[in-house]
Amino acid sequence: MPSRRRTLLKVIILGDSGVGKTSLMNQYVNKKFSNQYKATIGADFLTKEVEFEDRLFTLQIWDTAGQERFQSLGVAFYRGADCCVLVYDVNVQKSFDNLNNWREEFLIQASPSDPENFPFIVLGNKVDVDGGNSRVVSEKKARAWCAAKGDIPYFETSAKEGINVEEAFQVIAKNALKNGEEEEIYLPDTIDVGSTSQQRASGCDC
Amino acid sequence: MASNSTSQPPSSDEEEEQEANSTVQKPNSNSIDNSLDAIENQLSSISFTSPIDETIAVVSAEYYHESVSEINDSSLNESYETVGEIRIDNNNSVGESSHASGSRVWMNNNVEVEVEAEVDGGLSSPSSSGYAGERGSSGGSVSSGSGTDVIREVRDNGESVGDDGVNTVDSVQAEWISGKRHADEDDASISWRKRKKHFFILSHSGKPIYSRYGDEHKLAGFSATLQAIISFVENGGDCVKLVRAGKHQVVFLVKGPIYLVCISCTEEPYESLRGQLELLYGQMILILTRSVDRCFEKNPKFDMTPLLGGTDAVFSSLIHLFSQNPATFLHAYTCLPLAYATRQAAGAILQDVADTGVVFAILMCKDKVVSLVGLQKSSLHPDDMLLLANFVMSSESFRTSESFSPICLPRYNPMAFLYAYVHYLDADTYLILLTASSQAFFHLKECRIRVETVLSKSNVLNEVQRSMSEGGLHIDRLPVDLSARSGSLFHQNQRRQPESVVGIIGGPAGLLHFIYRSIYLDQYVSSEFASPISSPSQQKRLYRAYQRLYASMHDKGIGPHKTQFRRDENYVLLCWVTQDFELYAAFDPLADKGAAIRICNRVCQWVKDVENEIFLLGASPFSW
Ligand SMILES: Nc1nc2c(ncn2[C@@H]2O[C@H](COP(=O)(O)OP(=O)(O)OP(=O)(O)O)[C@@H](O)[C@H]2O)c(=O)[nH]1
Ligand SMILES: [Mg+2]
Repeated sequence: MPSRRRTLLKVIILGDSGVGKTSLMNQYVNKKFSNQYKATIGADFLTKEVEFEDRLFTLQIWDTAGQERFQSLGVAFYRGADCCVLVYDVNVQKSFDNLNNWREEFLIQASPSDPENFPFIVLGNKVDVDGGNSRVVSEKKARAWCAAKGDIPYFETSAKEGINVEEAFQVIAKNALKNGEEEEIYLPDTIDVGSTSQQRASGCDC
Repeated sequence: MASNSTSQPPSSDEEEEQEANSTVQKPNSNSIDNSLDAIENQLSSISFTSPIDETIAVVSAEYYHESVSEINDSSLNESYETVGEIRIDNNNSVGESSHASGSRVWMNNNVEVEVEAEVDGGLSSPSSSGYAGERGSSGGSVSSGSGTDVIREVRDNGESVGDDGVNTVDSVQAEWISGKRHADEDDASISWRKRKKHFFILSHSGKPIYSRYGDEHKLAGFSATLQAIISFVENGGDCVKLVRAGKHQVVFLVKGPIYLVCISCTEEPYESLRGQLELLYGQMILILTRSVDRCFEKNPKFDMTPLLGGTDAVFSSLIHLFSQNPATFLHAYTCLPLAYATRQAAGAILQDVADTGVVFAILMCKDKVVSLVGLQKSSLHPDDMLLLANFVMSSESFRTSESFSPICLPRYNPMAFLYAYVHYLDADTYLILLTASSQAFFHLKECRIRVETVLSKSNVLNEVQRSMSEGGLHIDRLPVDLSARSGSLFHQNQRRQPESVVGIIGGPAGLLHFIYRSIYLDQYVSSEFASPISSPSQQKRLYRAYQRLYASMHDKGIGPHKTQFRRDENYVLLCWVTQDFELYAAFDPLADKGAAIRICNRVCQWVKDVENEIFLLGASPFSW
């Protein structure tokens, strides 16, 4: 157990295959980019320590595979997430259209206690491609969608050029944290010795 | 003398940490690093079967009902069922930077790892015994029917040579930092990967809670990997219990929202490692109660780590006990040997305070019970005592001042706290008073003062100290000649000068050591360690051998009566289980079988002769 109080934030990255989830994470954590595409299989995990408002956090980043055949990993991956990052490629209409599915799938699988206010963040990636000429989803359209879904913060990023990556993850950390702030109250009972029958009845599967 | 003490520097523990120091290599050491790399690759990149995931679960469900399997009698390990395939892959993941570590989980076919599903009634026990014992006396307690329990030699074959691969690496350096060791490590560190035995606790969302080595937060990626493996199998309606990878075993224990994992290449049996995870979980419950489950129900991303702040030493110390204290696998406690009247005197004053509303009053010296009294019919499970004693002994603050702390006894009531008043009466002896009232501090303080006064007046504390330094059952004092029997350890001890022990190697017929566990009393007694089993690493090796014996004898479907005899390069081990007791004895590897059996009968006789000095009798039976 860490002696200093540090908070661990679980961040899930979702989005269609090839939109650049792994690249964004790799840019953020390792400051590296590769043009080569290696499809993620299942999920990758990376951790990154961040300092924020004089506190230390560990981001536990779950980079999931966008390919459809991995979708059934579901609950296992989403459970207990502090923040969910939705990524699309501004040059691919379909990847934007699918954001809705990703968001809904996440809410169903993770079933967060307060779905209305669960912190999502949307990244429109690959803005560098072709100097923006091959772009098919406008910033306006993207922002409108985000606004309609409860004011989801939106960033236009390039994993390749490192544009807005750091900034986006700052907001991810901040929102993940905000959401976690209402801490669970941990209140154990005290044994009432008067009723001695509790002993075995209460049982213990350990 | 105190063989199980926790306050000794755990020199032999280090051998678990660094395989690289090994001077004695195992025969088949096709490079340690290869197999470490294998597990590393496997863990950082466990892949499940493609195309999609249901495969494992389905596979295991099918195997579920098929009963197992071929039994190899010298080794339990081989008898697990293979139900799924998990593949090693060599691609490594992204992270390279110093504070980024990466791991991945995916699905893909190939490599072979065994995944054991919940097999009911599957494994049969190894039948290594060439000997059969007669049925024990029918009396319920140790004290009854002495002399009727006899092991008898049946036939002259059936010796099984154990495959005991317990490592004989001698301890090199013994650094004992209480609390987290090697906190700077993470899963990318070579040193971390070479640790022989890892323990992890994590939440069902993959957040790390505890790691034996390394910093939990730096291991967040590794922890996520473990969670993904467990949850993945869980999604298929199954439960992953064991993954075997080369000589590494990965043992999983799921306790609601809490996952516990042990990764070990110590060749301990699966059942033993699982038992250790159960205790680790119990230790966590002792500190927090199972109320934490409710927090996870309400909020799956609940982070428990802050609640466990400062308790690293408690867990490290427990893990250390796994190789130093047989109570961790015998599920029994042990008493400090004392003259009957002395223990009676201690019991009387404890009873006195217990009558004033104390749930349990326990007087202990290190890990040994001096006396113990419970309110009404309440009884204390030996595992709870172990965890409580470990908690007290490993928390430095208890030593410096009287303390009052909430604790939970997981076997008594895992959901609720009791309050423990703890006070050290001398360097090793401490009193624990447990109550249900959070307001009882001052009352308990008064109780303690009364207890302390009586104990010092009646000289109990001095006797306790004397017993600690002199020990109890010395094998060289085993009365071989029936006429030399004496009803007391203490007359005997007085007759003998302690100096006379020096130079004597072992006991009669090559007896090196024994443990006798009374089933009815939930207590065990072990002989004092003597040459040649004198170093901590030798003791650890012997305990591991006993632990293996215990696991094989307690496999499902054993009868009420069993013996096992095995000989390997280190010992002859003889185990004898009746409905009243279990005896584990180690002899010189060249010991004669017939003689060893005769000596075991003598040992049982001896234990019975002095039982009121080595056991706490008359305590309410522990009916669990
Ligand atoms: N030009 C440009 N190319 C990018 C950018 N981000 C990613 N790419 C490229 O897009 C391809 C796919 O990127 P990945 O990060 O592997 O995509 P992914 O979302 O992780 O894909 P899956 O793992 O299959 O779900 C790679 O060839 C990257 O080099 C970007 O910002 N700009
Ligand atoms: Mg990817």
